[in-house]
Amino acid sequence: MTDHLKPLRLALHGMDSRHVTMLMLFLKGPCKGEAVVVNSPEDADANVFDADVPESLKLLTAHLKQELQKPAIVLTLQNFSLEQVLYVKKPVQTGDMLRVLNEAKKLASELAKKKEALDKLVPVSTAANDLFDFFNDELFHYLASSKWEDDPVPDLSDERQTIHTTNLSHHEDSIVFSQATLLSGSDSFAQESAAIEFSKQEEIDRKDEADEFNESQADNTGNSVPPSPISSESVLPVDGEVKESNQALNDSHEPNLKNYVIDLELSKTAKHQTAMRLDEKGFHERIAAIEEIDLKRPESSWNYNPKDYLQGYFQDALILSRRQNMPVMLQSAWQPITLLPRTQEVWLKADDSELSFFAGIKLKHKTIDSKISFTAVDPATMNLTVALDKFQTMEAFLWKLACWASKGRFPQAINVDQPVCLKYWPNFTRLLITPHALRIAALLIKGPRNMSNIARVLNIKPQYVYVFISAAYAVGLVSQAKRQSDLLVQPQATMSNKTQGLLARIMSKLRK
Amino acid sequence: MSHYKIIFTGPVGAGKTTAIDSISDVPPVKTDSSATDMTKSRKPSTTVAMDYGVMILEDGEKIHLYGTPGQERFDFMWDILVAGGIGLILLLDNTRPDPFKDMWFFLESFKHFIAETGVAIGVTQMDISHKPTIADYQTQLQISNLNPPVFAVDARVKDDVSLLVQSLLYSLDPGLME
Repeated sequence: MTDHLKPLRLALHGMDSRHVTMLMLFLKGPCKGEAVVVNSPEDADANVFDADVPESLKLLTAHLKQELQKPAIVLTLQNFSLEQVLYVKKPVQTGDMLRVLNEAKKLASELAKKKEALDKLVPVSTAANDLFDFFNDELFHYLASSKWEDDPVPDLSDERQTIHTTNLSHHEDSIVFSQATLLSGSDSFAQESAAIEFSKQEEIDRKDEADEFNESQADNTGNSVPPSPISSESVLPVDGEVKESNQALNDSHEPNLKNYVIDLELSKTAKHQTAMRLDEKGFHERIAAIEEIDLKRPESSWNYNPKDYLQGYFQDALILSRRQNMPVMLQSAWQPITLLPRTQEVWLKADDSELSFFAGIKLKHKTIDSKISFTAVDPATMNLTVALDKFQTMEAFLWKLACWASKGRFPQAINVDQPVCLKYWPNFTRLLITPHALRIAALLIKGPRNMSNIARVLNIKPQYVYVFISAAYAVGLVSQAKRQSDLLVQPQATMSNKTQGLLARIMSKLRK
Repeated sequence: MSHYKIIFTGPVGAGKTTAIDSISDVPPVKTDSSATDMTKSRKPSTTVAMDYGVMILEDGEKIHLYGTPGQERFDFMWDILVAGGIGLILLLDNTRPDPFKDMWFFLESFKHFIAETGVAIGVTQMDISHKPTIADYQTQLQISNLNPPVFAVDARVKDDVSLLVQSLLYSLDPGLME
């Protein structure tokens, strides 16, 4: 392929994910692949700016102060004229874009020759490599699931931010949208202008719908899509609406985008590193430091209400974000927490020591309710550059919150005398591991037991069982055994086998 | 002296060699060779016989770590390898086209050994491909009434591999003390 026939490689500067998506679709569709978007300005043949987006305009201004090494293309609502700068007036027409791309190709070729002649290498800033957009996973899913029968219609008009602000009435089982400011014309948001009452019944209905969706997915794909391990009080959402990213990656014809998405994910280091493991000493120092258990009272009263802690507010935000299927920012007197339901991620600037402190404080509803707000944020209009290492999985985040709120107590909703079931082993390599958690899981996976029985069989303090049950219950892995058959199950006694001594020695070796 | 061993198995490129390397006390014996068949598209070299590592316990007892060759044409070796094994570590590569198929293949191939001992499953490459999720694997397993530990694992990270092996041991006996 000659240079003339190669697609022009474009670097987009200062644009939010929606703009990037639109341009990618537009270039691939109506422009018939005459140009492609690349991640790094170093790899680009030309740079594209949007003069109507403040961040992009700022970058354009800085860019124009330098000697142009590559053509600059400016998208603008206004007439624009500057030597060596190509512009496309918005709304962008296919013909205009193709004409400009063609000019940019010629200009890029000339500039490259000029540069070669000068034999002068100017290092290009790689700063843009570090600027990842907040919602690139969602961008990827969107792109990967796009169909190409119809040419996408570009809409590069200036997007205004769409923000829905909700106030939470925490003592009621409903969340009422008291304000829904609608600035976008999108239909998907228009429905939000009406007040929506969100009841537990609706949650049950949604769960049914989600199950139905999962069943239909199973029919279509041959693979069963797992039902969410969600009880009515455990709120990690079903992620059925997102296409299988594996398949999407394989199907994608955008190698640059694929690499970009992989690089992005690898940069989210907190999601993929081994979680902290606490022994008994560490537990008492870091989790149960604020003693709230009155040892003089019966064990059955050693419980807590998650709604009195950050955990409860986070779980409410999780329900809301799932309902909206869009990011929600939980704002309080402390740092905002952003929940990304489609990618099952949480973003929080604070580190674990700060979080653990706040998560362990019993909040006074009278004080905190007025300061708590859930803001549903349109990802298309968010244009944030964030630290990627601050992303966490929702499961790991909620697990931690529950550990810190529990402090060795069990959730009020659990009856201490009734057996509990473990749905499956928690993914311990990515979760905070509390003392004896693996042993508890290994025992409980064999059959339902009540918490006292677990503590007795394993010969451990009940607090270690309670904190595990609290975390596993929060993420939907533990439930109360309610079926008659569960109650009839006779827990197997743990038998020491002849190799127990050997296994213990191996364990000792591995724990070092 | 008894010959105790833990078996690592899984498809080509799942990280068996690396996982053994992570917890072995001696440089593992590798029998990698340049890949010449379908494995070539996934990694430049592959294990053609077996990997071998050792964990040396405090009393000098050795726990042998064996990695099976990932290629199916060597499956005749598997029965020989597992004899006397303590349990099975199954590593799955989440970037492969159908990791569930891989999982069922190995669970079926080692079903007698698993029935006699236990299995823990580590899913690698989840940072590159996060679907299927761990919950997806567990749902698949529950269809067959299986409840083994399934963890996301970076085979290069000792703590990850160690936790996976610990979960196998606790599965065998939850009464083991920490």
